[in-house]
Amino acid sequence: MAATRAGPRAREIFTSLEYGPVPESHACALAWLDTQDRCLGHYVNGKWLKPEHRNSVPCQDPITGENLASCLQAQAEDVAAAVEAARMAFKSWSAHPGVVRAQHLTRLAKVIQKHQRLLWTLESLVTGRAVREVRDGDVQLAQQLLHYHAIQASTQEEALAGWEPMGVIGLILPPTFSFLEMMWRICPALAVGCTVVALVPPASPTPLLLAQLSGELGPFPGVLNVISGPASLVPILASQPGIQKVAFCGALEEGRALRRSLAGECAELGLALGTESLLLLTDTADIDSAVEGVVDAAWSDRGPGGLRLLIQESVWDEAMRRLQERMGRLRSGRGLDGAVDMGARGAAACDLVQRFVCEAQSQGAQVFQAGDVPSERPFCPPTLVSNLPPASPCAQVEVPWPVVVASPFRTAKEALLVANGTPRGGSASVWSERLGQALELGYGLQVGTVWINAHGLRDPSVPTGGCKESGCSWHGGPDGLYEYLRPSGTPAQLSCLSKNLNYDTFGLAVPSTLPAGPEIGPSPAPPYGLFVGGRFQAPGARSSRPIRDSSGNLHGYVAEGGAKDIRGAVEAAHQAFPGWAGQSPGARAALLWALAAALERRKSTLASRLERQGAELKAAEAEVELSARRLRAWGARVQAQGHTLQVAGLRGPVLRLREPLGVLAVVCPDEWPLLAFVSLLAPALAYGNTVVMVPSAACPLLALEVCQDMATVFPAGLANVVTGDRDHLTRCLALHQDIQAMWYFGSAQGSQFVEWASAGNLKPVWASRGCPRAWDQEAEGAGPELGLRAARTKALWLPMGD
Amino acid sequence: MSAYNRGTELDLSWISKIQVNHPAVLRRAEQIQARRTVKKEWQAAWLLKAVTFIDLTTLSGDDTSSNIQRLCYKAKYPIREDLLKALNMHDKGITTAAVCVYPARVCDAVKALKAAGCNIPVASVATGFPAGQTHLKTRLEEIRLAVEDGATEIDVVINRSLVLTGQWEGSDFIKTSTGKETVNATFPVAIVMLRAIRDFFWKTGNKIGFKPAGGIRSAKDSLAWLSLVKEELGDEWLKPELFRIGASTLLSDIERQIYHHVTGRYAAYHDLPMS
Repeated sequence: MAATRAGPRAREIFTSLEYGPVPESHACALAWLDTQDRCLGHYVNGKWLKPEHRNSVPCQDPITGENLASCLQAQAEDVAAAVEAARMAFKSWSAHPGVVRAQHLTRLAKVIQKHQRLLWTLESLVTGRAVREVRDGDVQLAQQLLHYHAIQASTQEEALAGWEPMGVIGLILPPTFSFLEMMWRICPALAVGCTVVALVPPASPTPLLLAQLSGELGPFPGVLNVISGPASLVPILASQPGIQKVAFCGALEEGRALRRSLAGECAELGLALGTESLLLLTDTADIDSAVEGVVDAAWSDRGPGGLRLLIQESVWDEAMRRLQERMGRLRSGRGLDGAVDMGARGAAACDLVQRFVCEAQSQGAQVFQAGDVPSERPFCPPTLVSNLPPASPCAQVEVPWPVVVASPFRTAKEALLVANGTPRGGSASVWSERLGQALELGYGLQVGTVWINAHGLRDPSVPTGGCKESGCSWHGGPDGLYEYLRPSGTPAQLSCLSKNLNYDTFGLAVPSTLPAGPEIGPSPAPPYGLFVGGRFQAPGARSSRPIRDSSGNLHGYVAEGGAKDIRGAVEAAHQAFPGWAGQSPGARAALLWALAAALERRKSTLASRLERQGAELKAAEAEVELSARRLRAWGARVQAQGHTLQVAGLRGPVLRLREPLGVLAVVCPDEWPLLAFVSLLAPALAYGNTVVMVPSAACPLLALEVCQDMATVFPAGLANVVTGDRDHLTRCLALHQDIQAMWYFGSAQGSQFVEWASAGNLKPVWASRGCPRAWDQEAEGAGPELGLRAARTKALWLPMGD
Repeated sequence: MSAYNRGTELDLSWISKIQVNHPAVLRRAEQIQARRTVKKEWQAAWLLKAVTFIDLTTLSGDDTSSNIQRLCYKAKYPIREDLLKALNMHDKGITTAAVCVYPARVCDAVKALKAAGCNIPVASVATGFPAGQTHLKTRLEEIRLAVEDGATEIDVVINRSLVLTGQWEGSDFIKTSTGKETVNATFPVAIVMLRAIRDFFWKTGNKIGFKPAGGIRSAKDSLAWLSLVKEELGDEWLKPELFRIGASTLLSDIERQIYHHVTGRYAAYHDLPMS
């Protein structure tokens, strides 16, 4: 009878007023595992795939260690089968109108709604995360994601005209992840017509369950395939023929390695790396609320990683006291307990924390741990690290969950310097009750997402992503859709892999060039020198290379640029960047228009130079005119960039900003020596970047003619043009760590090198892979793709209230 | 009440420095209700604890000595004896924290409680309740009379016109509202008040009490209020000297939940005595 059950305990609880366990039954999760006889395979083409003679890995409860099921590990042939299924499915899935895909996604959302208890108990059981967060956060957001992307799919024909789905997407997920990370990526991919093969780490049943729910819906079984296997399968999946894009989310160094190994391979690569977040607490903040922001970020099982916390010196003591007080009230325990803030994430996560804490202590940091946390493994108490010397190794590495590293700053300006002084650029929040200061910090932070006076808010319509070494792939909102689209008519990506390309020697040495005789032909003599910092300079190597015209005669000499010249050009571009990025789009447009007018004045000279390169006079004049039009068009187009999003449940706007990338390196194609140069220059400058350009190797003289006008029209350093050996300059640019993005239009080998070298600072690259481009066509020469690549998105959340 | 606010120099910079971010507080209010629940014997014990925080209240224009008497009896015996026995809590002397009435009914309440043989304090609302817009002289007189009649706690309605013009008053307890407003005890407001109480304690060492009143009707609500105080201020505030819940119908819902916990059945209305 109930009374005896309650008897003795109630008296004690009455006095102590402690919290008790609120266990969530996971019977339905176990029942589902039973339907698979506790043996999980892969879900491919709408069927369970359980091949024989495969290794299996146990799926364990991270807290009790109890074996829940055994999971078969895929081998290369299973991967191939999954990709084949996705390829077959792509044919019909992408051919259907958007409304059909919308219907499918909506039905999947409804199925999730009907079986949400199974989903949240299974997820919490195997990941150890607090069930409350999974139930109230993840599962609800998963449905919202499907609904949002269903709407995008249904309007795709109008809203995304001119774009087509890429094809089969390979999705790679990290060992510690929520199924939501998968949802964020499969929803846009499926919506626009791509099909997906997801490679999930061993022992992750939830993605398999999702694939099953999707597959059982019927007509499109192969659109979502999930295979589970070790990390060694990643390159195998990535290099499967037919995979058009690999979306990788995981640890930084793995992403870097993948970037290197996928150079030149068929698949494009999108990276989302790291988990650390940042919180900026100023002295005008509501400190108690900011402390709750810290809890949301690091100690509530909402965010995946640790937190770097910057506190203004004047409120340091007060903030630390409140933080420590709050930590004492945190509760950790079994994830399936409905009243805990934090679950446990297994032994590996626990070891990582311990190593980090020990190291921080040995480097002089103070460590504070508190909270109602079970003492046994694998539970980690909420951890606050302070006084970590900024130069210590620990201060450089990524902060692991559930650690918060606090450090002081004096002024907002210093806060920006410290916050931007890491290679990571994921998300950050700013806590300040002064509007001007909050916006100044929000705009100044180099990250993908900024929340003002909030932390960790998410919505399907808001793009989420990063910059710098956090990778530049996006999910959610319009940016998430473009990840899986390419301009209509673009040929499918092919592998340009050249196995014998030696990365160590590519473009290392410059072949020496000898004088080829005096320049002949009409005056004026072409301009000579490297255009760096607003003027023509002699190259560091003090040598020149001859440029020949179409009939083989010497057309002129150009300077032979080298590594030092590139360094100087990048420095000049960096100096010019803050001023140029701070200009209004209108002011930038005015300068582009001025350059257009200057080109038109120089029309006869430019046309005659083009003529010497073999163009007919009429065509040459048309190229000059089109170049001027491009400058004007981009100037006008940037006026209307960025927009405001309205998010459910949030009062106030979310701004989708389009910010300049920084210093952009552009290696121009050989063909269209004037038009291609201008077509690339215009969007790059219009979006506020400064550029270092390598003009057409065949005829750099036209670019140098333009430089003469840029010298008078533009501020110094805005556009820098370096001539010389193409491969050598490409090498210098691609390996430069302080270039924020690179566009390469040239050989397949050069493209492969650029992709490989970009792993250094993970700059986004756009490489032509030896494919020619129709620069005179509107779509390829001035299409929206250029605009997308010339700027990066930032989502700025501005909740309002009195 | 044992704890008194010894007072401190008025430093208005404390108030002017306070920053409250409304949307962030709203989010916290939502979270707190979702993140802390208690079940089974924890729930029963917490509910019984909640009973001891209740200022059992009747503030109706038609209050008479008979319903005051009934209220006082309920205050003394808030939960059916057999249910308490089943929980082994019958010897804990569980009563409500106080009864709360209009000044004119203090006499009836004191008499009724004496008849019931218990020393539950009588609280009186006073000073032109609920608007507080009367002269200082009559306000003071009202308090004096209520105390004379035997009230030991006075819920004073502060003169809000003074507050809105920055002229503050001190107190031992702060209350969310009179309970007679259109919006009464809400979590976001309570969070701000509790944080102010904590800041004041940190600055002066004085513990100020907290009383949410109005609209707290369900047992579940009362649990949320307990965990709110526990989370924001800590266990030291979870005693009748520092925490009260002003409510009239809450008690019967708590009793119904206890009934269900003990018997496993849902009670009919006639199963439990009315107040």
